[in-house]
Amino acid sequence: MRIDPANRTAQLQYRAAGNPPSTQPDSAISNCYPGLEFDFRNIWRRMFEGIEMHEADNYVLKGIGEYQRLERHRLLLVADAPTVVALSGPQTPGGPSGPLTSQGNPDGVWTMEWSNAMAAVLRDKAGKTVTGHFTKDPSQKPAGIPTDSSGKPDLSKLLAVELNVRPLFGSSAETGEPLAVIDQERVQPGELTQSLCSPWQNDYRECACYYWAASRPDYVNVEVAATGTSAGNSWLAIHREPKQYVLDDRNDTRLVSYEDLFQDWQGRLKFIVGGDDHD
Amino acid sequence: MRAAELFDLSAPRSAEGHLVETGEGSLLLVPDGSRVYDVDAETAAVLDRALRGAGDGEITELLRSLGLEAPRYVDDAPPMAPPVRALSLAVAQKCNLGCTYCYAQQGSFGGPAMQMPDETALAAVDLLFGDVAGGERVNLAFLGGEPLLNRATIHAATERALALAAERDVTVGFSITTNGTQLTTDDADFFEAHGFAVTVSLDGVGAANDALRPFRSGRGSFETVLARVSPLLERQRRMQVSARVTVTPRNLELRTTLDEFVALGFHSVGFSPLLRSPTGSDEMEHPELEVMLGGMIDCGEEFERRLVAGERYPFANVVNALREIHRGTHRPYPCGAGAGYLGVSAEGELAACHRFVGDEEGALGDLAGGVDRARQARWLEDRHVHRQEPCRGCWARYMCGGGCHHEVIRRGRPACDYIRGWLHYCLGAYGRLLARRPDYFTGVPSA
Repeated sequence: MRIDPANRTAQLQYRAAGNPPSTQPDSAISNCYPGLEFDFRNIWRRMFEGIEMHEADNYVLKGIGEYQRLERHRLLLVADAPTVVALSGPQTPGGPSGPLTSQGNPDGVWTMEWSNAMAAVLRDKAGKTVTGHFTKDPSQKPAGIPTDSSGKPDLSKLLAVELNVRPLFGSSAETGEPLAVIDQERVQPGELTQSLCSPWQNDYRECACYYWAASRPDYVNVEVAATGTSAGNSWLAIHREPKQYVLDDRNDTRLVSYEDLFQDWQGRLKFIVGGDDHD
Repeated sequence: MRAAELFDLSAPRSAEGHLVETGEGSLLLVPDGSRVYDVDAETAAVLDRALRGAGDGEITELLRSLGLEAPRYVDDAPPMAPPVRALSLAVAQKCNLGCTYCYAQQGSFGGPAMQMPDETALAAVDLLFGDVAGGERVNLAFLGGEPLLNRATIHAATERALALAAERDVTVGFSITTNGTQLTTDDADFFEAHGFAVTVSLDGVGAANDALRPFRSGRGSFETVLARVSPLLERQRRMQVSARVTVTPRNLELRTTLDEFVALGFHSVGFSPLLRSPTGSDEMEHPELEVMLGGMIDCGEEFERRLVAGERYPFANVVNALREIHRGTHRPYPCGAGAGYLGVSAEGELAACHRFVGDEEGALGDLAGGVDRARQARWLEDRHVHRQEPCRGCWARYMCGGGCHHEVIRRGRPACDYIRGWLHYCLGAYGRLLARRPDYFTGVPSA
């Protein structure tokens, strides 16, 4: 029996033979961080011909030919659209709000998620040339956009390079018709699934934002005092006494390690019911 | 293909699927999501048997087994407080023609003749831009009555809209629907400068038009309109000048009309059956709708021939239908009326659309107080196609959306066979053209 999707909605709902339901975009549990089914960030790695970006950063991993000089530089502006945003907030609880700079992030910036930040560039400039502004030098640390005295981007301090924007969707080699598939020049086979979350292994411990993988406890056996202070354990604490929350620095031997979890998660972890340990 | 045959082929059998033989094979329409699949003969036979005999539950199960199951595209929930993105201003609730079938009852909607004051029009434009964000698009339409009887207000509103659009980085589209008798060369310049979509109401060539669209004196209007619209037809670059034909039992010569109007240089030509007139006169009944469907298919088949030959033949109904079928447009309403689109009366009342001006049934607030969100919520809930009968069991429900609210509320649904027959034909044309002119669907052709 042959059933070919003919129109756009049918094409978008298409599931290749053998693919599980989770390959449908509408079933995905994804966000700007890697998802379970595919890591959508990979579609941005080869947005521009000749250079390859880190999937989660504005950092140039690889340049081909004349673009080789851009390797390890950071791309800060694309057709005037910024790829980073300045961070501000209190450095200490209750403290005043200010630039969130640090040793590792001296300019206090965060790389924006490209599915939003580059959406307009893709819409308006696919198949066209845009000007990209890079740091003049290689930059291992995140870099901010230099500004002039009026607060506008100071382009003289950046390296301007013309870039060709690849379209998101491929087209038919025979008719030139756009196809409802992502262009292979952008994402090569295997790349969409090469950097997924591993929520029941590494990421079960790794994710500290109580979101992903979300369905695990964090602060357990909590007792709240009349003054409003509390005492309890980290879910990873090997010993439940003394009752204190051990901050996870990935090295503290009072906490279950990655290796412990990989090798004996069922022996190491306890059932937590109603917020407390249960055997 | 004859219209009577199409009535039969397109009859509602299942709400979950519809099969069309195209001549190039078989297409399956899955209404939810308006998904169209090209299926081989073996699959088509299985589907055909099921669609004729099985219940909707069994058909859903069959679709699932064929891998066509999908999450529901259209649910029961109406949109909540949709933002206003299109307004039509009844700038002149009066008209110099005396068309007997006019929903606006010769322009005044059954009340005294009125002009919209500039300040009302400007307040309407302010409402249109009230909560719009940069990069969005809005549309401002001028209707009546005959809108060009109040040209100054059209200019004032257009200028305000242009200023606000520039200020807010918003794209604004303008349109006007006119009887054409008042058009001037200055209008041509103005509409061209601002890229208006100009729709001229014309019901046929010569006497056919004149019988339906006479001046108040009884004299025919065709020659006047032709003389006045010609400069626009010659000048159109940014503006698009289209003809809209209201089809009644007295002007069923569709193909002749289409060919004449295309030859005159209209950007596009569209037909719409008269399903409801305030007096009941000239309304289309089933036998006339059958004749009309025959004419529409005649025009459609000519469109297919011309397209395959690489010629332009701007038959709007088929162009729009093919675009929507290719996109998979699916909607629980026939149009944006009462949602993102509202009509504004000369006195500043908001209505569900231009047809509901002065009509309590579609009243949705006023410019002073804004959109009456409680009434709007009721309207959107009541008008949802899932609440309409016999729509819920019809395969065409998400393409048709349940039919024009004004016609349905005032008359009912006398044209379902016609609408389904036409959509069945268009699905067939889609299948044929997908095979014969795949490049036509490269990108989605714009309106």
